Amino acid sequence: MTKLNDTRLVERVPPSPLSFTRPFWDATRDKRFLLQYDPRNGKYQFFPRPVSIYDGQGELEWREVSGEGEIYSYTIEVRARPPFQGHEPFALGIVTLKENVNVMANIVNCDREELRIGLPVRVCWLPLSNGTHLPAFEPRR
Amino acid sequence: MSLHDCAIVGYAETKIVEKGTKDVWELSGEILGSLIRTTGIEKGAIDGLILSSSMTSAGNVFWSQTVADQLALQVNFAQTVDIGGCSPLGTVARAAMAIDSGLCNNVLCLFADTQASEDNRPKRPFRQEWTSAIGYLGPPTAFGFISKRYEHQFGLDYAALGKLAVTQRNHAILNDLAVEKLRKPITVDDYLNSRMIAEPIRLLDCVMVCDGASGVLVTSRKNAERKGFTKAAIPLGYGEITHYRAGESVFDITETGHLVAARKAFEQSGTKLSDIGSFHPYDDFIIAIMLQLEMLGFCKRGQGCAFIRETDLSHGGDLPLNTGGGQISAGQAGLAGGGTNLVEAVRQLFGEGGKRQVANRKTAVVTGIGGIPYTRNFATSSVMVLSSNA
Repeated sequence: MTKLNDTRLVERVPPSPLSFTRPFWDATRDKRFLLQYDPRNGKYQFFPRPVSIYDGQGELEWREVSGEGEIYSYTIEVRARPPFQGHEPFALGIVTLKENVNVMANIVNCDREELRIGLPVRVCWLPLSNGTHLPAFEPRR
Repeated sequence: MSLHDCAIVGYAETKIVEKGTKDVWELSGEILGSLIRTTGIEKGAIDGLILSSSMTSAGNVFWSQTVADQLALQVNFAQTVDIGGCSPLGTVARAAMAIDSGLCNNVLCLFADTQASEDNRPKRPFRQEWTSAIGYLGPPTAFGFISKRYEHQFGLDYAALGKLAVTQRNHAILNDLAVEKLRKPITVDDYLNSRMIAEPIRLLDCVMVCDGASGVLVTSRKNAERKGFTKAAIPLGYGEITHYRAGESVFDITETGHLVAARKAFEQSGTKLSDIGSFHPYDDFIIAIMLQLEMLGFCKRGQGCAFIRETDLSHGGDLPLNTGGGQISAGQAGLAGGGTNLVEAVRQLFGEGGKRQVANRKTAVVTGIGGIPYTRNFATSSVMVLSSNA
C-alpha cells in the first residue's frame, strides 16, 4: 500500500467568512455540513453564493446534509506551496454529494491503491485554530 | 454584423524572458513603437486603447488611464479587459465594437505582463475559504481533475499528449522570440518522464510563467483599404462564453464553453473547419489543446488522442498547431500570454512566418481560455476565426 499524507498536521489559516458564507463555517464548529437550498427550484448548491444559481434570487435556506457522496475526480499533489510543502504527496478530490453538488476537499485516510473515481466517501472534519473545522472526505468502508 | 468591418493591420511582440529587468511599461512602449513603425499609423492617430489585464496591474483600478498616461496617448476610448487568458483575444472583439459604434478609429490592443518579476495579485477571501485551505495548487490541480475525469470516461493516451508537447517545442525552436530556456528539442519520453506536479499533470504539461508583451493595431476595414494596407487580418467570427452552464451544480468537466463559442464563431464567419490553415489554441496545459480539438469539432468527443496520433500538426503538416511554439513552449507572459497565440496567427496570415510559414495563409483560428473556477473547467472560453485579405 502506498501511503498518501493526510495533511492533518498542516497548519492551515482558518478561512475568513464572507457575510453570506458565515452560516457554513459557524456550523462546522459542531461538525455539521450545511448546504444552501433553493426551495423554489428544489435544488442544492455549493459553494455558498449570495444568490440561487438557479434563479438569481437571494432567498435561500441552509439545510444540514449527511456529507456522503462519491469521488467525481481526483489528483495527487506531488508539489505544493507552504504550508502544504513537505506534506506531499496528498490527495485532492472533487466529491459529488448525494444532494448533487460538487465539493473540492482533501481525501484522507485513503491509500493510493484505494483512491478511484466512484469511491464512496463521507465527510470528516479537520480542526482549525479558531474552533471551526475544514471538511475533508474519507472512504466509506 | 460588424466584426468583419474591422481589420488588424499590424502586430508586435517582445522577446519572452524568464524573469526580465524591463518594467511592464517599458515593454508596453516597445509594442507601441513597433506598431507605429510597421503600420505607419502615427501616435496621434491612435485614438483607442484596449488592454488585457495583467498580474502586474492587479489591484490598480486606474490601469488603462495610467498606461495611456505613460505612453502619452490621447484616446477616446480606454478599457482593460479582465477575462483572464481570454483578455487579449477579447480586446480585438471589443475594438471592433468600439470602432463600429463610432467611438474611435485606430485601436491599440496591448498585452503586457511581467508576472514572473512583479506579480501584484491581491488575496480575495474566495481562494482562502475554498481553495487555499485544502492545498489547491491552482491550474495544475484543476487540470489534474480534468485529466483524471477524462481518462475515466474516455481513456487517455499520454504519449499522444506528448506528441503535442514535442510538436510545439519544435515550433519554438524556430521562433527567435520564444523564451530561450525552452528552445531545445524534447522527445515523447522526455514528456512522459518529466516529474509529476499534480498527478497526472507533469512538468511538461504546464506553461512556464514569464515576462513579455505583444499587441495588435485594429482599424476599420475601410480605413485599411483607404490607406492601402496590403496585409491585414480580418476577424470573421467570434464566440465568447463566460461561466458555461453556470446554473448547474454538477456537469461534465470534459466539456468546455468552446463547444458553444466555436459554433458561434464558425457560423458568423461562414467558414468550415476544413478551411483552417493554422490553429492557435490557448495552451496553458497540454490537455487543454486536446479538449479544444474535440470542442471545435476536429474530432468526436473522446477521440482527441486518436486524432492527434493520426494528424501531422507541424507547421508543414495537415493542421499546423501553435506554429510559434504556443505558450507552453514560447513561455507564458502572464495574462498577456493569449497574445502569443493571437500574434502568431496574424503573422501567419500576413505571410511573415519565415521558416515556419504555413502553406494556407487564408484562414486561422485562435482561441482563449480564461480562469478555472471551483470544480469546473474554464471561466471563459473564446474562439475567433481570422482571415487574411490575401
